Amino acid sequence: MVPLLLTEPDLVLAHHPLGASTGYMGDLRGDWPAQLGQARELSPFAIELSVLSESEIDGLASYLVGAPPLPFRYLSIHGPSKGRVMSESALVDVLLELGAHAQAVVMHPDTMEDPAPYRSLGRKLVLENMDARKHDGRTVEELDGWFAELPDAGFCFDIAHAWSVDDTMGVGGGLLDAFRTRLRHLHVSSMGSDLDHVPLTEEHEELFTPLLQRCLDVPWILEAPPRHS
Amino acid sequence: MASPLEQLSAASGREFPNLLKARELTSKGLSERRARLAELPYDENVSIVLTGSWGRSEVTSGSDDDFMLLVTGDIGDKGDVREGVRPSKAEVEKILDRPPGDQGIFGKPVSSRWMIEKIGLEDDQNSNLTRRMLFLLESVYATGGEIYEAVYNELLDRYLDQSVKSLHPPRFLLNDVVRYWRTMCVDFAGKEREGPEKWGLRNAKLRTARKMLFASGLLPVFECNDLEKGQMTEFLRGQLEIPPADRIARAFLNHNAADPGGRTLGAYDDFLGLLDKEDFRDELNAVTRENYKGSSAFSETTRLGEDLEQGLLALLFETDSLPKLVREYAIF
Repeated sequence: MVPLLLTEPDLVLAHHPLGASTGYMGDLRGDWPAQLGQARELSPFAIELSVLSESEIDGLASYLVGAPPLPFRYLSIHGPSKGRVMSESALVDVLLELGAHAQAVVMHPDTMEDPAPYRSLGRKLVLENMDARKHDGRTVEELDGWFAELPDAGFCFDIAHAWSVDDTMGVGGGLLDAFRTRLRHLHVSSMGSDLDHVPLTEEHEELFTPLLQRCLDVPWILEAPPRHS
Repeated sequence: MASPLEQLSAASGREFPNLLKARELTSKGLSERRARLAELPYDENVSIVLTGSWGRSEVTSGSDDDFMLLVTGDIGDKGDVREGVRPSKAEVEKILDRPPGDQGIFGKPVSSRWMIEKIGLEDDQNSNLTRRMLFLLESVYATGGEIYEAVYNELLDRYLDQSVKSLHPPRFLLNDVVRYWRTMCVDFAGKEREGPEKWGLRNAKLRTARKMLFASGLLPVFECNDLEKGQMTEFLRGQLEIPPADRIARAFLNHNAADPGGRTLGAYDDFLGLLDKEDFRDELNAVTRENYKGSSAFSETTRLGEDLEQGLLALLFETDSLPKLVREYAIF
């Protein structure tokens, strides 16, 4: 049998550093050692620890405080986008503690109300572009205001979210044109019919390639398992 | 015509204010120093060569006047230059008033013959390798331009000897450039064993300026893969006389990686801007392996160094043609 890599050059899997988001490991939710173990099987170089709901924050904080040294050279933490109860300033205090373990803290602009408290995160704060369902953070125009308020914040380019807004990738290209100097990392996947993250399809990989090639120097985080896994 | 750095800025949307400011400072300072040094008494076979940030066109407020007194002609058995060379080191240091320390690299006149003829084997000690690589990769003449050019061309001819093949990178030169980078890394550990002084600053330079210098030597050598043997000397001379940041900017542009290039050189530009601040330099100077975790200057340097490294690795390993050259020639 011919090895897969010889038959199918894969831009995404060949990228370095590549990492997994624990956000797609639904069956392991709450079990941080198991999630990190699965992520490490994909790559020991980068990872995104995803706290989808506020209720998961304490578990991650406890784990990180007592965890053995982790192998990942790039570690980002995805802040909660659901189940929000805390005030923004209280949430930012928690994110500051979590951020001590990470290079980046990713937030969805549509879940943020007041940018002021987030300024204390400085460069660690990374804002992600949103998918077509959201009411904010989808386009250059919608993100411009956030970056004006948070000048030190970086940009996380979610290429599938950009596709959901404009499947010609014109919006995606515009986002990179506008925020390329802020770019910190990528979220890579395709999107299903209900706009959930699904493994990157071959068709999308080809469609996304011109934009991916503008981002070769930053970590790429998979938001869904590799399609061959 | 715009420099490669300026072209990359236009293509990537990233400005490089600190690199461009440093170039202005270098140009102005070099003119002043050339005029003053020209008034000294000279032997006919002496050139004063500036290295370090002068050679990179990256002079900032804290830069030393790293120089070597380059002497052509007869030498002793161990590469010693005759006594009484004019101008003397002391005479030069009255003008270049932030001279390097009296370490082996800069402490005495340098024989061009020893530097060129002793490549490899016992006589090519650490100091000779370092002088040769600084001369090759980051130098500019202050006086004796014709002597400097003649020595430079002789050195390139030595590297581009009979072993060079058309449409292949020159391996002799490639191996010496790689050897220099690895020597700097090993010497970093060696110096740490001697004592903790300047650990932070040395570490910072290794992560940034030294890495830039290595990449800026590596890239033109790889580009020789597209050249006939007879074209390589002129190409390499042309590349190595522009600042290292321009060599790297040019490579990012040539390999269709303007955006990564903008971020990569942007990180280096940010570092240069910080290095221009006295309190930042003082903090880095005081950092040791024991206290680095408490230093924001060191933490910032580490972050910028990682951005720089990731960009250079992307250029070498994920653009169009370079990855195959790296695989074919850079390891073995």
